[in-house]
Amino acid sequence: MNLDISYIIVFGLYVVFLAWTTWKSSQQVESLSDFTTGGHRMGLFLGVGTSVATWVSVASVMGVPGFLYRTGVAAIIGWVAGWFLATAIMPMLAYKVRRPDIPARTFPEFIRMRYEPFQKVSSLQIIVAVLMFVGYFIFSHLQVVGFGIVFNTITGIPYEWAIFGFLVFLLMTCLGGFWSVAATDTVNAILILIGLAFGLGAVLSATGGVGNILDAVAVTTAPVNVGGPPMKAGIMLTPEGSFGWGALMAIFMANALGASVAPHWIARFMAPKNAKAAVLQMMWTVIALIPIFICLIIIGLGAKALLPSLPAGKTTDYIMPLIVQQYAPPFVGAMTLIAIMAAAVSTANSMLLHCGTSIYYDIYRALFPNREMDEAKATNHLRISVFLLGVLAVVSAIKPPMMLAMGFTYVYGAFGAAFMWPVWFGLFWKRMNRAGAYAGVFVGAGTYVIAKIMNATNPFAVGAAVSLFAVLIAVYMTKAPAKEAYEAYFEADVSPSTREVALRIRQESDESAHEKVSLSAKPAAK
Amino acid sequence: MAIALLFWGCSIIFVLVVALILCQKIEASGVKRWGATGSLFSYEKEEAK
Repeated sequence: MNLDISYIIVFGLYVVFLAWTTWKSSQQVESLSDFTTGGHRMGLFLGVGTSVATWVSVASVMGVPGFLYRTGVAAIIGWVAGWFLATAIMPMLAYKVRRPDIPARTFPEFIRMRYEPFQKVSSLQIIVAVLMFVGYFIFSHLQVVGFGIVFNTITGIPYEWAIFGFLVFLLMTCLGGFWSVAATDTVNAILILIGLAFGLGAVLSATGGVGNILDAVAVTTAPVNVGGPPMKAGIMLTPEGSFGWGALMAIFMANALGASVAPHWIARFMAPKNAKAAVLQMMWTVIALIPIFICLIIIGLGAKALLPSLPAGKTTDYIMPLIVQQYAPPFVGAMTLIAIMAAAVSTANSMLLHCGTSIYYDIYRALFPNREMDEAKATNHLRISVFLLGVLAVVSAIKPPMMLAMGFTYVYGAFGAAFMWPVWFGLFWKRMNRAGAYAGVFVGAGTYVIAKIMNATNPFAVGAAVSLFAVLIAVYMTKAPAKEAYEAYFEADVSPSTREVALRIRQESDESAHEKVSLSAKPAAK
Repeated sequence: MAIALLFWGCSIIFVLVVALILCQKIEASGVKRWGATGSLFSYEKEEAK
């Protein structure tokens, strides 16, 4: 066991603080809307906190330093700049998504409102929910892997057992729904920033400063793992690194364009009080992320200067915990490792919430719209779904199959290829219709998978390009959508029939909706 | 290194410009439900004390 008293104290305080935050936030009585999207009334502070904490996952806190260690500054273009560009274009989507007076509660419901507003059972909503379920399960799985690595490093408990500790955090944060997730996420975001600042200080102190780090990585030829092939001298400071520009641009585009339409972000845009709060939320999120990533970049490069090669058999995902344990004083090391754990917990709870919501709210309830279910019962069912998915994510993480940051890139690429045109055209082009959405989702997802299997250099670009072609053909070969499908995203004041359709969709999904409306909404005459 | 940081810096400048334009559009629309308050970076009116 490599347990130090500082680690126990910091870890204990973190658990107590998290439990207290969860308890305080769970005091609010939660409706189904509260559980899924915070009741569309979130302010800027919590909005930025939860966005930052969700954004900073193990893929960023462990994967980015890991890739900087492995490939050098190319990781800044591929992952850091890619994800920042994604967040930079998100305000444009947020501005539109949060416009309707009666917004959707989930991403698949948004797709239904936009493309199948008159269907009693929306096939597209269910298909999108299934794709989301698969993607978010992989995301959650990756967070559990990261949690296990850190928990194993802190406690010395074998990784295979350490990952089960995640369930304790899941119980505390996720079961309270969106408000609990947002509150604990905000605490986690502050901890991540403080912990990484401590880690940065330790690395700078051990290396003697940024100048020394750059001097060391400029000439290093040390292999990634002991006994591995040596690196080419100077490659760590070249922009394309060992990837080559083609592969690096593929990663950049998948992270930038794919992440921007990731369903959990679209759902995040539904939570703020209004459209301007949604725009400002993403702007402040980017600003808050800058110091976090400065820390990660310096730590990643500094790690190469401090520990030129990893022990054989260790992946670069281990570099962060290894460095802080070896070169930081115990208290500083504990703070940094808690920051990584906070990143894993805060992203996983959010991902599992989306995963559970998609399987229960968008699949089960969409398939059985007439089944009697009160709001309290539905919220409890959601809690159970989330917890069971957490258990599955933990079991699946016993033998982790892929690198953390790369796993995110695959899922973001698939989401981007499938959802890019249905989301962007749906929000900015009135002519975009149901046939176009089906074409976009099926052709985009299918082409991405085929391109990936065939080892295409840029499967995301292939998927998105073929999908664009399919969407345009489908849209122009079929009739324009009814105004009830798009009006809420383009006009301030919508017609009564559009309002009626939105209320009916929400009421079908939520028996306790306050406003009773007729079930006989039909497309308005053109 | 400089090229890599340039990619990153450009995306940061981009979000500031985009957010500014969108907030201006919301203000120009005058729609209170969207967050038009008369102040560019304020999304809700302060309640009267």
